[in-house]
Amino acid sequence: MSAVLEVPQRFDEHGFESFAQAYARAAEASKVIVDAHACEWISPLGFVALLAAGQALRDRLGAPPILTVPSDRDVTHFWARMGFFSQARELFEVHGTVPRVRGGESKVLLEVTPVRVAEDVHDVVHRIQERSAEILQHELGLDARATMGFGMALSEACQNIVEHAGTGGWVAVHTYAYKKRLGRRVAVIAVADAGVGFRHTLETSQARQYGERWGDLAALEAALLRNVSRFRDPGRGQGLAGIRRYVQRWNGKISIRSGTARIAIVPDWDEDQTNVEQLAPFPGAQVLMIIPAAEALDQR
Amino acid sequence: MITQIDVRDVLSRVGAAPMGDLVTRHTGRAVRSSIESELARLSGRTVVVLDFSAVRMIDFSCADEIVAQLVQASLSKAIPTDAFFLIRGLHDHMVEEVVEEVLRKRELAMVAETSTGLRLVGSVDEEARAAFSSLVGRGQAAPEDLAVDLHWSVDVTRTVLASLAGRRLVLHDAGLYRPLTAA
Repeated sequence: MSAVLEVPQRFDEHGFESFAQAYARAAEASKVIVDAHACEWISPLGFVALLAAGQALRDRLGAPPILTVPSDRDVTHFWARMGFFSQARELFEVHGTVPRVRGGESKVLLEVTPVRVAEDVHDVVHRIQERSAEILQHELGLDARATMGFGMALSEACQNIVEHAGTGGWVAVHTYAYKKRLGRRVAVIAVADAGVGFRHTLETSQARQYGERWGDLAALEAALLRNVSRFRDPGRGQGLAGIRRYVQRWNGKISIRSGTARIAIVPDWDEDQTNVEQLAPFPGAQVLMIIPAAEALDQR
Repeated sequence: MITQIDVRDVLSRVGAAPMGDLVTRHTGRAVRSSIESELARLSGRTVVVLDFSAVRMIDFSCADEIVAQLVQASLSKAIPTDAFFLIRGLHDHMVEEVVEEVLRKRELAMVAETSTGLRLVGSVDEEARAAFSSLVGRGQAAPEDLAVDLHWSVDVTRTVLASLAGRRLVLHDAGLYRPLTAA
């Protein structure tokens, strides 16, 4: 049996759930086509989630699933400039014309970048600090303190993959305008993997305490709100806590989806739900952070 | 004796991050291990100044591996050297937001040199902070002198200072207490 996973026309945090539902419906399929021909807009979360799905499908099927590229040449060009196809080729059989792009064409904060080992985290942080400090400071009006915190949050989010996922993952960081929701520019960090997920990671240390309540949402609550780690060492579990403090300090948003649940810390400018359960199962974990531009910058 | 350790140099030696970003537990462990090897060659009481001036940023994982675990090792005598740690050269906000948090999580404290001078960072009560601050102002003091400054009883002052010395936050010699920079 074959299945077609349609990539939403607009693949961002809102479009993610329809993609996850399609992914779940393809659970029994022996051949899968990920169809992106109708996709017109994709966020960093869309990019990294597509790759996570590709990895999980390839591992399950024992062969790469097919990915059809967007029909719109401009969209495909954007995907290429964002470094998506160079990662996707390792996971998908890519169907369609992929434009060639030169290195350095992108002006985004961070193209789609693989995270497998600690050195990759160094590379990600280095690139953000070197290339993007000016964008963060001038486009978003973040001061040196916020910019450094941005690097810290990025580092800790990527380390979650290295330390806990049991496999590699990807990160992408863009800036764009949130005109309707916020009326300001934002920096968006998306990190995803197709690994074991939060529930599995924390099961041994936490499941008994939670009893019947134990599940994907309980695991996310433990990690994000109670700083729980799978390690007994009291110094562990600080990464997500640090990210949470950073995001709250700058009136940003963090959302983590793992398995069938999602938890979010939602600022007043957003209307997302804080805890959601019984979602379509999706492999690994997906972390989304949104940091808004400083208010003073918008008033200028 | 005072031993200065340039953390950026250590970072370069362990082959991580030529740009001076102290990130990841993996890197933190390598840096701590290198510092511990350096300390193992020393003998006697030493104020170890961890100089972060050339470090661009530090994350929680790395701060926990380096700073918090070195302090913990000195308290548990896991480091053979009689070491008193002091950090220098980190941005104040990194001290407040990162080092403070990693130390609190382990209920530890240490001395940091910040833009406003020496201060205690981490898990410390108000009495200890007051005694430390007063001691830094004086340079060195006997409990009796500090008791006058703080309007405390001598017994309370002695207890607080002894606790600070036991946590390796001040030096104690021949009845006098001194902050770490006065070593």
